[in-house]
Amino acid sequence: MTRRSLLKSLLSYLGLATLFSFIYPAYKYLSPANIFARKKPFTIKKKEIPEGEAKDVIVNSNPVIIINSPSQGFIALSRVCTHLGCLVDYDKSRSRLVCPCHAAQFDIDGKVISGPAPKPLTRFALTTEGDSVVIS
Amino acid sequence: MFSKNGMLTKIYTWVEERTGLSEILRSQLVDFTVPKDSGYSNTLGFVLFTAFFIQLITGVFLLTYYIPHPDYAFKSVQFIMNQANFGWLFRFVHVVGSNLLVATLFIHILVVFYRGTYKKPRELNWLTGGLLFFIILLFCVTGYLLPWNQLSYWSTTILTSIPTVIPFVGGKVTEFIRGGEYVTGITLNRFFAFHVAFLPLFLITVVIIHIFVVWRTGLYSISEGTQDPAQEGAHLFKRPVYPDGYPFYPSLFMKAVFMILLYIAVVFFTITFFQTLFLPEYANIKADPFSTPYLIRPPWYFLAPYTLLRLIPNKFIGISIQVVIIVLFLLWPFFDINKEKNIWKRPFLLVLFSTTLIVWFLLTMLGRF
Amino acid sequence: MKRLIFVVLTLLLVLSALAVAEAGYRDLFRKQFIDEPWAGAPIVKEGVCIECHTSKLMKPDYLKIPQEWKMSIHYKNNVSCHDCHGGNPNDSAVSCGTPHSGFIGTPKYDEVPQLCGKCHIGILKNYLKSGHGKALKAKRRGPNCVTCHGSHSIQKANIDIINSVRCTQCHSYNRARIMKQALFLTEKRMSDLDKKITALKAQGVITNKIDKLLFRTQAEFRTIFHTVDVSLVKKRTGEFSKKLDVISNDLDKVSSQLSFRKNFSAFLFMLFLAMAIVVVIIIHKGSD
Repeated sequence: MTRRSLLKSLLSYLGLATLFSFIYPAYKYLSPANIFARKKPFTIKKKEIPEGEAKDVIVNSNPVIIINSPSQGFIALSRVCTHLGCLVDYDKSRSRLVCPCHAAQFDIDGKVISGPAPKPLTRFALTTEGDSVVIS
Repeated sequence: MFSKNGMLTKIYTWVEERTGLSEILRSQLVDFTVPKDSGYSNTLGFVLFTAFFIQLITGVFLLTYYIPHPDYAFKSVQFIMNQANFGWLFRFVHVVGSNLLVATLFIHILVVFYRGTYKKPRELNWLTGGLLFFIILLFCVTGYLLPWNQLSYWSTTILTSIPTVIPFVGGKVTEFIRGGEYVTGITLNRFFAFHVAFLPLFLITVVIIHIFVVWRTGLYSISEGTQDPAQEGAHLFKRPVYPDGYPFYPSLFMKAVFMILLYIAVVFFTITFFQTLFLPEYANIKADPFSTPYLIRPPWYFLAPYTLLRLIPNKFIGISIQVVIIVLFLLWPFFDINKEKNIWKRPFLLVLFSTTLIVWFLLTMLGRF
Repeated sequence: MKRLIFVVLTLLLVLSALAVAEAGYRDLFRKQFIDEPWAGAPIVKEGVCIECHTSKLMKPDYLKIPQEWKMSIHYKNNVSCHDCHGGNPNDSAVSCGTPHSGFIGTPKYDEVPQLCGKCHIGILKNYLKSGHGKALKAKRRGPNCVTCHGSHSIQKANIDIINSVRCTQCHSYNRARIMKQALFLTEKRMSDLDKKITALKAQGVITNKIDKLLFRTQAEFRTIFHTVDVSLVKKRTGEFSKKLDVISNDLDKVSSQLSFRKNFSAFLFMLFLAMAIVVVIIIHKGSD
């Protein structure tokens, strides 16, 4: 084999390797990302949360609080305070959520009432199915 | 595969019988001679063309996940970087590639200026090239805002504030560019439209004209000498011929391929070892119109004009000087009509060239603080 | 060349004339362009409290307070005088001296926990349950918040606040030493994880979720400490250890992702470099 043809085939093989090193990522990039993998929905019986009470649960490794509000029914909010991440507690007497770290206060819709929190609490979609409540 | 009766040869022959492709390839690539003294510096145009093509491809891939709305832009870029498989690769190549493209563009302009290859009959090359330069800068300005992070938002605020210094219409010009008093989602949308639709079409049109005139006027050779107006037929177009030149393919073509591969290697070198060079801390925080960070700078290629503006006490003079420089730059072949192409024989121009280079470099360094 | 000089001079002349005529726009430009924080102008955000407390007429004891506050973690997080002491930071007439606008001057020794507990709710609850809190309530003696954390130059809490100088004012250091030992390993782990997160942030990783997780684990752990109950701390150390394991695993996953990215782009770099070298060889020595 001549030097020239050796170099040419070397170049072709390297070129092919490069091509595949781009085709593979391009293919993976356009494929669905991992986070779209189906997550298990969380179910809880309605009678476990009496009216006016709230319950702390974990939904897909997120700390969530489910409030059974007399006026608005079942509400599911993230317990993670939007300030620095402490978990908020439910104050039944004043119908609000208070963060024990720096006293950020949220109403039961998750909106900020006072304190250093910059954003409202994340709300989780909640549906009622029969005698249970499902959070997807 | 490459042998005489191999697969590739068979396909080639099949296409050849139907299109006569080899004739076109021969006349455009092999019969097209280039001067004996052309070398690597002549291939920068090819590098730029490929660099732009890379930007286009990575840009289209980013487009599949990017959302041009202020509430979703930052999150979608985060998604690309963290959740989309290999999204980081496309984003990094796009970011690093854009900066390297501008750097290569500067070098290309410097080489052309240094060799004086903007003089007759190549003025059109310079004019279209200058226009391309400004289109690329517009690409950079519009693209910079799209990730909607603190760095892009405030950098764009600075850059779009510059027209306020124009008397009478300054404020209105800024409002026109921003689509409002401040940089908002409206600005984001129109910058996105420009970056993704209008500017690419505009650029491709001008690139076609630029490549056409470069091809038509041929590469410059020292043996070309200066054209004597007294010579007969000096006013007619003459296709350049290089009797002692060599065919474009394979020599200059391979040199171009080498430069392109080197360019891409530098892109990946930067991505591997200097990942945060073009994405500093502020680039990872979502844009907050109510929180002005301390000390934001425009990207490096705008630092020199930005520093100049800040140094000159009267801001209007400052921006006028910039306008004068831009006009000089764009129409340079009409100002420099001296036929001598060798810059070493023109001390005044050499001093002007080196001074501009040094001043630009100093202003850029100063602008970092 | 003559043409060039002529054009440049004319342009400059015309533009300078316009410049002189429109001098007023200098101010507009200065306001919109130079006097902005992103251009380097200092951010001024002080209220009337600072004005008086830095003036020559103020008592010397109170003069050093603004300086101390500016070194504190409260200052870095935009917590100002009125956030603790009440009053209106924009109106000097109403702020000082009158409880009208909710102004509290220097709180009494045993009122300090209530002042700090306005915001630090969880810690106040545990403090009141603790031996320290009970001593303060019963005998008006014992440590309040200021004893350990200072009043105005408060820094981010760390384990060395517990030391033999501070904790021997009322009893022997032995108790404090046992508590410090119980806290030590968890605190060290948390500080290591914090450093790791900072390093990742510098590399461009967005760490919001894991930042919050570490903060709340740290906050919960330190809130428990304020009961000064060593057995409680020891009992719950295992639980916190597991939480920190989760964080550590997440960070390891991020680090391995980052190394993969670095390796992959290094691989692509080598590929292109190799191809470039082969091409150079073909150019210069390709013919036989």
